[in-house]
Amino acid sequence: MTSLITLKGVNKYYGDYHALRDIDLTINEGEFFSLLGPSGCGKTTLLRTIAGFESVSDGVVMIGGKDMAGVSANLRPTNMVFQSYAIFPHLSVAENVAFGLRKRSDLDKAAKQALVDDALDMVGLGGFGARAAHALSGGQRQRVALARALILKPKVLLLDEPLSALDKKMREQMQVELIRLQRHVGITFILVTHDQEEALVMSDRIAVMFEGRIGQLDDPETLYRRPNSRKVAEFIGKMNFLKADVKAVGDVIDLDVAGLGKVRVAAEQAPEPMNTGPAVAGIRPETLAVLFDGETTVRKLVDGVVDEVVYYGDMTYYDVRIAGVAQPLNIAMKNLIGRPVLEVGEKTRVVWDERSLVVLR
Amino acid sequence: MSLRIYAIAYLIFLYAPIVLLPIFAFNDATIIAFPLAGFTTKWFDALMTGNALHAAVKNSLMIAATTAVLATLLGICAARAGAMYKFPMKAGIMGFIMLPLVLPEIIVAVSLLVVVVQILNLGLSNWTIIAAHVLICTPFSIAILNGAFQNLDPSMEEAAMDLGESRFSAFRLVTLPLVMPGIISSMLIAFTISLDEFIIAFFLSGASPTMPVYIWGLLRFPASLPVVMALGTILVALSIVLLTIAEVLRRRGLARAGVQDKGGFL
Repeated sequence: MTSLITLKGVNKYYGDYHALRDIDLTINEGEFFSLLGPSGCGKTTLLRTIAGFESVSDGVVMIGGKDMAGVSANLRPTNMVFQSYAIFPHLSVAENVAFGLRKRSDLDKAAKQALVDDALDMVGLGGFGARAAHALSGGQRQRVALARALILKPKVLLLDEPLSALDKKMREQMQVELIRLQRHVGITFILVTHDQEEALVMSDRIAVMFEGRIGQLDDPETLYRRPNSRKVAEFIGKMNFLKADVKAVGDVIDLDVAGLGKVRVAAEQAPEPMNTGPAVAGIRPETLAVLFDGETTVRKLVDGVVDEVVYYGDMTYYDVRIAGVAQPLNIAMKNLIGRPVLEVGEKTRVVWDERSLVVLR
Repeated sequence: MSLRIYAIAYLIFLYAPIVLLPIFAFNDATIIAFPLAGFTTKWFDALMTGNALHAAVKNSLMIAATTAVLATLLGICAARAGAMYKFPMKAGIMGFIMLPLVLPEIIVAVSLLVVVVQILNLGLSNWTIIAAHVLICTPFSIAILNGAFQNLDPSMEEAAMDLGESRFSAFRLVTLPLVMPGIISSMLIAFTISLDEFIIAFFLSGASPTMPVYIWGLLRFPASLPVVMALGTILVALSIVLLTIAEVLRRRGLARAGVQDKGGFL
């Protein structure tokens, strides 16, 4: 894999406000890369820095091996899909898509028309060229914005929360379409989103940002299974946190976990460097289970009492209180055939496995 | 039912004087009174021959056109700044430049006369009228253009730049066409206000009067009253046409930008 975008020591200040702090980042060619974080974490600023709409206060942005300092947005090999789509309402769909071709004097009218038709076909809007842009639905605007940006065959496509204005169903459909489109054109996509599920579904790699810093950069599975901090773990999915005391660190880590007792985990279940002393053990709700009557298990068990039941149709979420832990454990159970739904106050047993623990400080 | 009567009475009160204008403009008698004497167009013929009147009309058109352009240019700057940028004291500053909208014109006129003659030591000319008309028309321009600029998505110019255009051509290709109906609408309204304006023009005009000032002068001669009626008829018709065009353009601009009409300036 060859790197396409490199950021070195990038800082951005707005007056006293430190929006980006020492960002070092490499994004590869053909990669679907996501910047994920809560609002105000700097992810959009970082995207706009790559696009050329914001200058860096300090540090270097390189695209395709070239330093982008002093190169304005219109001269960069990047194109952007804006959160509001920014479709030009006074132009037709085809004129919108062809906007970026204005400067291409090497193409004649027919060649431009062919490119526009191809771009519209690619986003599933073939035959929509003559329509007025302001008469389109949200999803269609989104597609026009994509076609308009991709027609220039940029090295990088920047997407600023492109799906946030769509309803849930449309959003899920567009997620799949965007992935397919990205594989088809092979262009590097950089997606900004605050929706962790969206990032997990779509990305090759995700950078999770907090307060202007990158907290963790990993592929979706590693990010979900091995968050390197409590912040990342809380932001991505749900996680139960139990007080822990790390006793020994080596090839394995020995620790005491509140409610679960003595536990031994592999070294890679904790971020480097891990020291002895107070820590937290994190465990995802779907890696726990309640043991129903008549079921057996070879895994470890702990006694508990059902504190809360939230029924979702396909899933039931239980809060189960166990001895020695103030916060009840959140457990996600699939409603498989024959499984009853427990009631509040029922005694039960919780199945757990030390392999699904992460140790965090 | 009573509401309907009220509405009709209100409309009569509002428009009866204007309806009287054309009636007496075509009435074949020097005295403005019922019963009507017969149909004539001689008062309009009299309008066509008065040289002094022609000079006054020309003066007024020049002043109104210049005022329209200057007030709209200032309005564009203010509305764009108000819509796109944040700056300290923004609400206060925007309120302050809208103030001439509510100042009594006679006060503006007298103060400007003092400023121009006593303090600046300048002679009165068409330019002093233009300066004063720009002052009272600019708030109207800002009010109209605010609507046009506030409906603009600030990402739009960025999107154009992202697609390869320079900052200026992004403004020319995207922002300008979208606010153009507002600009024309603003120019038409400023033009109409300046054309009709009397008090300021009366105080600040030099040797050559504007049309309203000339009409006021005519009123001293009862014989020329029907001529004034004829001129008034033409002015009312012209004002209605210009304001209608302005409103149509404003609505078209909103439709083009695909936003909902939140009630216009008119």
